[in-house]
Amino acid sequence: MSLAACSTPTTSDTTTKAAAATTAGADETTAATAAAGDNTLTVWCWDPAFNIYAMQEAEKVYQKTNPDFKLNIVETPWADIQTAMTVAATSGDYSTLPDILLCQDNAFQKNVISFPDEYVDLTDSGIAFDQFGAAKVAYSVVDGKNYGVPFDNGAVISCVRTDILEQAGYTVDDLTDITWSRYIEIGKDVLAKTGMPMLSMQAGESDLIMMMMQSAGASLFDAEGNPTIVDNATLKAVLTTYAELVTSGVLVQVNNWDEYIGTLTSGTVAGTINGCWILGSIQTAKDQSGKWAVTNMPKLDNVTGATNYSNNGGSSWAITANCKNVTLAEDFLSKTFAGSVAFYETILPSSGALATYIPAGDSDVYSKPSEFFQGDTIFKKITDYAAKVPKNNTGVYYYEARDAVATALTNIIGGADADTELKAAQDAVVFLMQG
Amino acid sequence: MSKSKRIKLNKKQSINGWIFLAPATLMIVMLSFVPMVRALILSFQKGTGAKLSWTGVNNYVRMFSDNVFMQSLLNNFIYLLIQVPIMLILALILAAMLNNKSLKFKGLFRTAIFLPCATSLVSYAIVFRTLFSNNGLVNYFLIKLGILETGYSFLTHTTSARIIIIIALIWRWTGYNMVFYLAGLQNIDYSIYEAARIDGASTVQIFRKITVPLLKPIILLTAIMSTNGTLQLFDESVNLTFGGPANTTITMSHYIYNTSFKYVPKFGYAAAMSYLILVLVAILAFIQMRVGDRRE
Repeated sequence: MSLAACSTPTTSDTTTKAAAATTAGADETTAATAAAGDNTLTVWCWDPAFNIYAMQEAEKVYQKTNPDFKLNIVETPWADIQTAMTVAATSGDYSTLPDILLCQDNAFQKNVISFPDEYVDLTDSGIAFDQFGAAKVAYSVVDGKNYGVPFDNGAVISCVRTDILEQAGYTVDDLTDITWSRYIEIGKDVLAKTGMPMLSMQAGESDLIMMMMQSAGASLFDAEGNPTIVDNATLKAVLTTYAELVTSGVLVQVNNWDEYIGTLTSGTVAGTINGCWILGSIQTAKDQSGKWAVTNMPKLDNVTGATNYSNNGGSSWAITANCKNVTLAEDFLSKTFAGSVAFYETILPSSGALATYIPAGDSDVYSKPSEFFQGDTIFKKITDYAAKVPKNNTGVYYYEARDAVATALTNIIGGADADTELKAAQDAVVFLMQG
Repeated sequence: MSKSKRIKLNKKQSINGWIFLAPATLMIVMLSFVPMVRALILSFQKGTGAKLSWTGVNNYVRMFSDNVFMQSLLNNFIYLLIQVPIMLILALILAAMLNNKSLKFKGLFRTAIFLPCATSLVSYAIVFRTLFSNNGLVNYFLIKLGILETGYSFLTHTTSARIIIIIALIWRWTGYNMVFYLAGLQNIDYSIYEAARIDGASTVQIFRKITVPLLKPIILLTAIMSTNGTLQLFDESVNLTFGGPANTTITMSHYIYNTSFKYVPKFGYAAAMSYLILVLVAILAFIQMRVGDRRE
């Protein structure tokens, strides 16, 4: 009926549609898992230039010792993977899930704690977890058990346009190992002399806040899972710093992701601070080759435990309860993502896919200088940064807290009182935790 | 035909009718009513994911102390009270204008005004978002015309973000409602207009005293449909403003989605909020029918 067609869907419609879409896409998956027999695994992940490419190379590496091994890689956006996991676990029917899926590190705690039966415990699988950065592994550890094989590196870097800095009389060394107050000082100077802000960020997103929090080892939840949004000196320092960045004009807020990438590629900002995966986007602007440099992020002033290192994003591979051949899956991941330096050497040059596998950082490929970044050995640099990232406590209710803090931040920048806003944010999180 | 034969024939036709209706009825019951009842049962439970336990009407009581949900309720009502009247009046005027017998290219105008509602919800929301972004087309023209120095960030200010959503909704749904009115206008005999014009009535008077009263049933229909649609608004909140600066444009459906899929899934609470929307739509529809459906 036309009413149903043209009106906006109800929640039950949305749920049904999401489930139907997942089932439709997964029908081929289920069929493939069943029919192909023992030596095929199905993988869900996103990004053909990065994750999917890495999986294809991993398949080739594993086929050297297991010639009839096959991978069935299905491109699935993260939002769809999360919805599929939720729907499958809630209905108790795991048959719609693949053998292996890629899961955002920030979502591990939430998913494993909410749906403990959905993921395979990898603690005693023989996978070498000690060969990865401790902070990275910690994301997928719940109650002391490992549930994920770490993959892409989200170590935070500060990328700067050296040509713009030069105009204001600075070099990239002036921005290395500094504090935020010094960064703001330099930023104001650069803005005055060149008219360019140092940073751009998407308005209403708390990415930079979370990066700054983790750089001091702070979190929005304590070890017991209680929210620590009020009476959190680090969070207050972070919000005050961010507010100053915005009001001074050093940080310009944009509306959406495309605009943010646009500020980098069309050169309307002098730099950015984000996970190292931003390098891929920066390097799409070929005309800016040789004008960028990479260094570490500023550290918080007057905060105990403040460092110049943090993490933003990153994901790990998880094996689901639907996997019929767990031994094969574990062996595959162990021999490729958690064991093959050659594998990491292959995927790095063409995709810039930086990993968190520490032995790979010592290889020659990782020491290759990058022309785009003025001959700097950025891969080695970033792998070093990744090892120094402080651990944080993601918490089950991570996304609730993130959104609440983002709301508080928007209001604080608009002039509201910080304590009132933080109290409102904590109340919002506590409310959702009680449901 | 004898009485018993007639009864038998009626019964046979009646049974035939039910046989034809049965598949559709069965489908509606299984796919619509059964999920609705199960959602109602779900709304009396609490818990994460599949770990549910009974909690009575607690969810319904709780939602009134949920600041974000209350904000989303307010947002929905702002959209409802501002956007729906403007849109329906505009649709009515356009329909009256396009009903003119002597107007050339009527088909073209009608198609052009109707086309927006045939576009994808996600695409149009993204396009509007890009149009009103800091370096978007609107800001480009405002700067070119000298009205602004630098781009105005429409989507990071509460009032402008809400206005953008309202403009987007009006752009999209006016044509849809206009088509309903056009259909209704076909039923009004042209001789009534002729008589009115002979009596010396102006265009505005004709519109107010003849067109609108005769279209009352259709206006009531579109009003109820629009109320239903606006209270269930989702795509604009998700794709245009992402819930808006500090939750000031988020809609109830968007928040329900967050509660189910973005955050730790609390399906019981989400179901309760959905039922509140149902209750609101039902109450508003009832009020509108009371006001508008007085049979003379």
